[in-house]
Amino acid sequence: MRSVIFLLFYCLMLSSGHAATTGWQTAKHLKAELVSEYQQVTPGQTVRLALHFVPDEHWHTYWQNPGDSGLATSLSWRLPEGVTAGNIQWPTPHAIAIPPLVNYGFEGNTVLLSDLHIAADYASDTIDIQLQADWLVCEEICIPAEAQFRLMLPVGSNAILADEQSALFRQAQQQRPQPLNISGQFDTSGGAFSAVIDWQQTDITAFFVAASELVDHAAKQQISQQGTQLLLQQPLNTYFSGVEDQIELVLISADTAYSVQLTKGGQLAGNEKAAVEILVTQGQQSSTALWLILLMAAAGGLILNLMPCVFPILSLKALSIAANSTQQAQQKRDALFYSAGVALSFVALALLLITLRAAGAAIGWGFQLQSPYMVALLVYLLFALGLSLSGVVQFGLGLMNTGGALTAVKGGKGSFFTGVLAVVVASPCTAPFMGSALGYAVTQSAPVALLVFAALGLGMALPFLLLAFVPGFARLLPKPGAWMDTLKQVLAYPLYLSAVWLLWVYGRQVGVDAQALLLIGLVCVAAACWLWGRKQLAQVGRVGAGFALLLVLLALVLPVLAPKQAVPQTQSNDTQHWQPWSAATLKQLREQGKPVLVNMTADWCITCLVNERMALNTDSSKAALALYDVTYLKGDWTLRDSAITEYLRLYQRDGVPLYVLYWPGQPPQVLPQILTPDTLPQTLARLSSQP
Amino acid sequence: MKLHHLVLSASAALLSLGLNAAPQVGTAAPDFTVVDTKGNSHSLKDFAGKNVVLEWTNHDCPFVVKHYSGNMQALQSDLTGQDVVWLTVISSAPGKQGYVSPAKADELTASRNSAPTAVVFDETGAVGKAYDAKTTPHMYVIDKAGVLQYMGGIDSIPSAKVDDISKATPLFANAAKAVLAGEKPDPAVTRPYGCSIKY
Repeated sequence: MRSVIFLLFYCLMLSSGHAATTGWQTAKHLKAELVSEYQQVTPGQTVRLALHFVPDEHWHTYWQNPGDSGLATSLSWRLPEGVTAGNIQWPTPHAIAIPPLVNYGFEGNTVLLSDLHIAADYASDTIDIQLQADWLVCEEICIPAEAQFRLMLPVGSNAILADEQSALFRQAQQQRPQPLNISGQFDTSGGAFSAVIDWQQTDITAFFVAASELVDHAAKQQISQQGTQLLLQQPLNTYFSGVEDQIELVLISADTAYSVQLTKGGQLAGNEKAAVEILVTQGQQSSTALWLILLMAAAGGLILNLMPCVFPILSLKALSIAANSTQQAQQKRDALFYSAGVALSFVALALLLITLRAAGAAIGWGFQLQSPYMVALLVYLLFALGLSLSGVVQFGLGLMNTGGALTAVKGGKGSFFTGVLAVVVASPCTAPFMGSALGYAVTQSAPVALLVFAALGLGMALPFLLLAFVPGFARLLPKPGAWMDTLKQVLAYPLYLSAVWLLWVYGRQVGVDAQALLLIGLVCVAAACWLWGRKQLAQVGRVGAGFALLLVLLALVLPVLAPKQAVPQTQSNDTQHWQPWSAATLKQLREQGKPVLVNMTADWCITCLVNERMALNTDSSKAALALYDVTYLKGDWTLRDSAITEYLRLYQRDGVPLYVLYWPGQPPQVLPQILTPDTLPQTLARLSSQP
Repeated sequence: MKLHHLVLSASAALLSLGLNAAPQVGTAAPDFTVVDTKGNSHSLKDFAGKNVVLEWTNHDCPFVVKHYSGNMQALQSDLTGQDVVWLTVISSAPGKQGYVSPAKADELTASRNSAPTAVVFDETGAVGKAYDAKTTPHMYVIDKAGVLQYMGGIDSIPSAKVDDISKATPLFANAAKAVLAGEKPDPAVTRPYGCSIKY
C-alpha cells in the first residue's frame, strides 16, 4: 500500500527570496511544479496559477472525464482569508486507447491552470498558497500519487509579471480549448448521447464529453453537419446512470479545439421543449461507395427518358438526330451541347436546393411541385408542348423538329437549351419517382450532391450521346418517313395526360376554383398557340401575334389571381382510418406508450399513392392496425410544410414517401419505400412478438 | 430553429451494429464457464438458486490494493457466510499486470486473508467483455434467478486512498444487502473506478 502511494512533502522556497515557482517535485514517472504567472501580486487581482506536470514518455494523467478507467487529477487549496481559487481550466484532452477501453488524458508537458482571486481589501503583505494535488499517472499500469506544494507570493501596490514563466502560460493557453458562446443541447434517450449545436463547422473530427460514464468512450462517434446545425452522437456508457443538466463538451477540429456548454434537452421553456428526433447515420451511409451511388443516379437519369412527360419529345429528338446521319460532326456537337445542357441544369437545380437549405429554408426535393404557381407553369408548358406535337404551332428550339427540319442549322446554343428544357419538363417526374434518392444526395456533402446530380444528367443524356457517337445505335432505329409525323401527333397525348395529372395536383393544392382559373389559362395558351401557329404560316399579321402574347400574359397572371382556399385535407369521416400528423400528436401518443404508424405523403408522389392503394388502405392492413391498436398518422407534404421537412430529415430523407412505425420500447422502424400488402401486418406481428 | 433534439432512432443503429451486447440490470446475466485455481470448472448456471457476486481483480492495481486493506476481505467473509457465491475474476492477459499462476493466486488469497468462493481465470477476456467489465475492482451482483441486479463500483469515492473507504457510500455492499433481502438495489448501476482491466 505505502509502496505505491507516494507522499511527497512540500518544500519551502522562502530562503531563496520570492520565486514564482515551487520548483520541481519528483514522483514516480512524473515531476510536478506549481507556478505563478506573477512574482508579485496586488489586492483585487486575479492571478493564474499553473500546476505543471512533466510525465515520463508514454505516461499520462487524466482529464476531468478520465474515460473508462483512471482518475482525474484533483486539487485542494488552502488559502488565507480573502483569497479563493477557481476550478481547474483543463487543457484539450487526447483519447488514449487501451483496447477495448479508451481513456481521456494528457501526455507530455501538461499545464493545469487555476485562477486565484485576491480580494480588493486583502491586507497582508504575502499570500501563503498551499496546494494538495492528487493524481493518477498511468502507462498501462497506474501509480497514484499526491503532493503538497507551497508558494509564498509577496503582495505589493503593483503586480509584477514573472517573465521567465510567461512561455509556460502562453503554452497553457494554447493547449486550452477555445470557449464558444453558442448554444447546444444534448439528450440521452434511445441508447445514445446526442447533441445538437447551432454551429456551422464542417471540420470537426472528434468530441469529448466532460461528464463521466455518459458515453461509451470506445464506441464510434458520429458527427454530421445538417444545415446550420452540428449533430453529434455516441452510444451511451453501460454504466450511465444520470447526468447533470449542464455539461461541457470539447470539439476537436484539424487545428483547433473548442469548448461548448450543452444544456440537457427539455430544460428550456416553451416550444423549445418540443422534442424532435434526429438520426445521425452518416457513418453508416457513407459505407455505400460513391461510384455505386453515381452509377445508380446515371441509371435513374436514363429511366427518366421513359417518363410520360419526357418520352414524347425526346424520342422525336432522338429520331431526328438519327435521321441526320450524314452530318456526323454536327450530330456529335448537338449531342454534346445537349448533354451539357442537361447535366448543367441538374447541377444548377442541386445548387439552388443546397443554397436554399444553407440559408435555412426547410425545403426538400420535390420543392418544385410544392409551389402551386410552379405547378401551373408546368401545366402550361406540357400543354403547349403537346399542342406543338399536334401541329398547332412550331417552336423554334429545335426540340420538335423532325426529319429534314434539322437541316436548318440550330447551332450549339439551340441544343444546349433543348437540354435545359428537357430537364425542366422532366422535373415533375423526378420528384415522385426519384425524390428519396435525390433527397439522399442532397443530405451528403455539397460536392457529392453535385456529382450525383451531374451523373443523373449524364444518364439522361446518354441515349443521345450513344446515338451520335456509336453509329450502330442509330442504325437500329427505323428509317425516317411520313410515319414520324403520325408518331409525333400520337405522342402529344402522353403530354396532355401529364398536364392533366399536374392539373389534378394543382386542384388538390389550391381547390377547384383556382383549378377552373387555370383551365381558363389553358384555353388562353391554346388560343395563343393557335394564333402563333397561324402567324408562322403568315396567315395573321402583327396584331394576331400581339394578341397571342397578351393571351400568354393573361394565362400567366391567372394562377396569381387564383383564390387561396384552405384545402380540406383533414375532413374526417367514419371510414377514414388515419389522423393528420403533427409533431405534438406524435409525441403525445408516444408518451402514452401507444404504437404509431407515420405516413408522410404528397399528392404528386406517385409511389406514395400506389403504396396507399396497394398496402395501406387494404382490408388486411386496416385489420392489423386495429388489432394492434396502432394510431395511423398521415402527414401531407403536397404543399411546403417545414415541420414535415424537418421530420423527414430526422430520418435522413429529403422526400416522400416515408413510413415510420413506432412500437413502445423499441427503436422506430423505418419501413421500405415500396410497400407490399404484407409489409405492415408482418412488421406489426414481428414487433408485437418481441419481448 | 429547434434546439432540443432527441435521438430515439439511435438505438436502431446500435442494434444493427451489435453494440447491444452490453449487460443490462434486470435481465439475465451473461452465462460463462471459467476454471478456478484448483482446476475446477464453474458455470453461472451451476449456481442457480444462489446469489452470485463477481469481483474483477488485479492484485497490483492500487485501487485493488486500497480495498484489500481489509474492506474486500470483510465483504467476502460476510457474504460467503450468507451462502453467497463470490467469484474473484482475473481477466488480465498472460504477461500483463495482474496475470498470475494458479499457485500465485492461491498464495495471494492466503497472504491477504481473502475469502472468495473461488478465484477464476479469464485469460481471453471473454467473460470480462461479456460483462463490459472495465476496471479493477469492478463489482456485479446476480440474484438466485440468474438476473443481473447490480453492476458498477465498489463504493462512491473514486480514489486510491484507504482513508476514503470509511467516508464513501458502500454502493456494492448496499446492493448485495438489498439482493439478499430480495429487493432491487438502488442505485443498481454505478460508476466503476480503478485501473483498466489489462485485457
